[in-house]
Amino acid sequence: MISVTVDGTELQVADGATILTAAKQAGRWVPTLCFDERQAPFGACRVCMVAVEGAPKPLPACTTPCRDGMVISTDDPVSRRVAVAVVELVLSELPAAPAPHTELAQVAGRLAVTGEPRWPGAVHQVKHDFRHPYLAFQHELCISCGRCVRACDEVQGAFALTATGRGFGANVTAGLDSGFEESTCVSCGACADTCPTDAITEITLLDGVERSEANGQRAI
Amino acid sequence: MLKAAVEDHGEVTDEDRKHAAEVSGVPEAAVYGISTFYDDLLVRRGTRHVRVCTGTACFAATGGAHVDAICEGLGLAPGERRADGSVSLAHTVCLGFCHSSPAVRDGDLIDAGPDAPARAITGSCAEAAEPEWVSLLAEPVLTRPGDWSGLRRALTELGPEALLAEVEAATVRGRGGAGFPAGTKWKFTRAAKGDEKFIVANGDEGDPGSYIDKYLMEQNPALVLEGLALAGFAVGAKHGFVLTRSEYPRSKPVLEAAVEQARADGLLGDDILGSGFDFDITIVEGAGSYVVGEETALLACLQGLRGTVSARPPFPAERGVFGCPTVVNNTETLANMPFIALHGAHAYAELSPDSESNGSKLVCFNERFARPTVYEVPFGMSMRALCEEVAGGLRDGRSIKAVQIGGPLGGILPASKLDTAFDFDALAAEGCMVGHGSICAFDDHTDIRALTVHLLEFGADESCGKCFPCRIGLRRAHDMFAVDAPVNRERFEQLLETLELGSLCAHGSGMPAPLRSLLAHFPDEMGLA
Repeated sequence: MISVTVDGTELQVADGATILTAAKQAGRWVPTLCFDERQAPFGACRVCMVAVEGAPKPLPACTTPCRDGMVISTDDPVSRRVAVAVVELVLSELPAAPAPHTELAQVAGRLAVTGEPRWPGAVHQVKHDFRHPYLAFQHELCISCGRCVRACDEVQGAFALTATGRGFGANVTAGLDSGFEESTCVSCGACADTCPTDAITEITLLDGVERSEANGQRAI
Repeated sequence: MLKAAVEDHGEVTDEDRKHAAEVSGVPEAAVYGISTFYDDLLVRRGTRHVRVCTGTACFAATGGAHVDAICEGLGLAPGERRADGSVSLAHTVCLGFCHSSPAVRDGDLIDAGPDAPARAITGSCAEAAEPEWVSLLAEPVLTRPGDWSGLRRALTELGPEALLAEVEAATVRGRGGAGFPAGTKWKFTRAAKGDEKFIVANGDEGDPGSYIDKYLMEQNPALVLEGLALAGFAVGAKHGFVLTRSEYPRSKPVLEAAVEQARADGLLGDDILGSGFDFDITIVEGAGSYVVGEETALLACLQGLRGTVSARPPFPAERGVFGCPTVVNNTETLANMPFIALHGAHAYAELSPDSESNGSKLVCFNERFARPTVYEVPFGMSMRALCEEVAGGLRDGRSIKAVQIGGPLGGILPASKLDTAFDFDALAAEGCMVGHGSICAFDDHTDIRALTVHLLEFGADESCGKCFPCRIGLRRAHDMFAVDAPVNRERFEQLLETLELGSLCAHGSGMPAPLRSLLAHFPDEMGLA
């Protein structure tokens, strides 16, 4: 065990624990988007930034291991400024606001990211894939957090999903961009379960009815 | 395998992907992801595939006019192929002919110079010449042909511990950009647990404006290979890799020939020179991605994956190639090691008597200069002496407006600050860096707003897309300047802070450096509000 201080509270954490684990143990909230405790940390979203005494700049809580005696501040203004800016950027790439129940919307709400984005610009192209009976893909809502790909690879072992493209054009897809049905997908739903934006969702019978009425893509 | 498909029939098809997945054991989806990442796999190729260099030296030479001329002449936009399949066109960054910009590539033939675009249009490209490199040192270190004398001494006199001690004492700061001491990486890798360890030479010199590693790999391959073998001996690795760039089509064959020669001479392979030390080297060529120069992305590329960055820790010294402890050193960094093995740390420090930085450095100049080539120089010379005396100032009566040093993540020094010394600390004090050692001049005709757009276009295009600040932020920064409207300075600076503090790797966190230089020295020319 090692000893760290989180927002003024000293606590013992396991060797190798990350700052995020320590913060959770201390009951402190650190915003995250690409983190899922069932998966290995990924370090992509950069909203879990925190201040560590002696570090020249904010550090990502999810991938930084604790050191003995580390003094961590989860609500450091600079770190929080970065997190807010990143969430603002993420919201600005979506063609529509994420549904209120999604993790992204909840993180944005808790960080009080509201109003016109400071850096407006291009949004993701709308691309829907409703061919699979249980899983729906709305590519424009994807924020490339990699959680679905890791859920598929690490949790389910189906290896049906992949990150695609690069830069602003990054996204995810199933198989050879051929949809879930043509891939090695086993319909477990782990991807939809972890998705923080509803880019991948599980279709219920009710959804199917609504969707077929809305755009005629799939009739039940 | 995917690259071979492109060479064979111009594009990667689903059949190719399925075949690659079957043979490699990589899931089909992952193969698809790989095939959408690398430049070389993205553009459908015609019988004649033309690539126009959009690097910074080519921008400095023409302001981008050469790209427009080729697009117009071929009747194609970058990324397009003629309906009859005869010709295709793509961007490329950078071909390493920055001494003779603009540069164009037709197949594997690289042409450069003011008339190269016209020849690319008519299909009459001619192989461009590369000027000889020059050493300012009485006894050249990096431009001396490698003769394996350092390895001989290490094997017969020093042993691995003494070699490592010399390299640590020499404080060899990495020559690829970050400037991290190579001896420290070696020490960590040597100490790391694991029976199998690897050495990787980072030859992915993607920095536009830089052609130093290109010269080293293609004109002095034995010195680079000797550096790898020394690293292997010091840390206990039996195998090394050199990752070359596909933008430098000559590098891999030249290095492979040098590996063959070294094996024939008993300098690579089993029981080298009867010492009991086994070491061999494999040359791997990338597929077109700037960020693959970052060490974790490089390792991903080397293993055939998407070249995206991974969070550190774990560092490659703990978990690198195939999960084993790995040293990743820049090509030029490794080329310093034979001298240290032969002459020791003290002699190495003496190479730059006027500077705290040790050893010599290769620098290269762009086409705007009168005598552009690669020069081996001591640290500590003033930038003015380098630009005006060594490279002869600018051609055609032009004067220097500013120079970008060390690649696209390097700060930009205005002409008024040319008395700054060329070394790690002095440049850092001006928001600049030694970086790769490229010195790219922008002349007095340069449009600073256009330069800003150029820098950000590169930044956005080459973002690997993994971390959010870089993926979205560089695109937003580019778009702010690419439209014909004033840019809100405060918001731009807030975006730069987000990139600097939030990004996962040096691409996103480094891109603000040259932009901050422009904000500091040329704010009136950026079109700010």
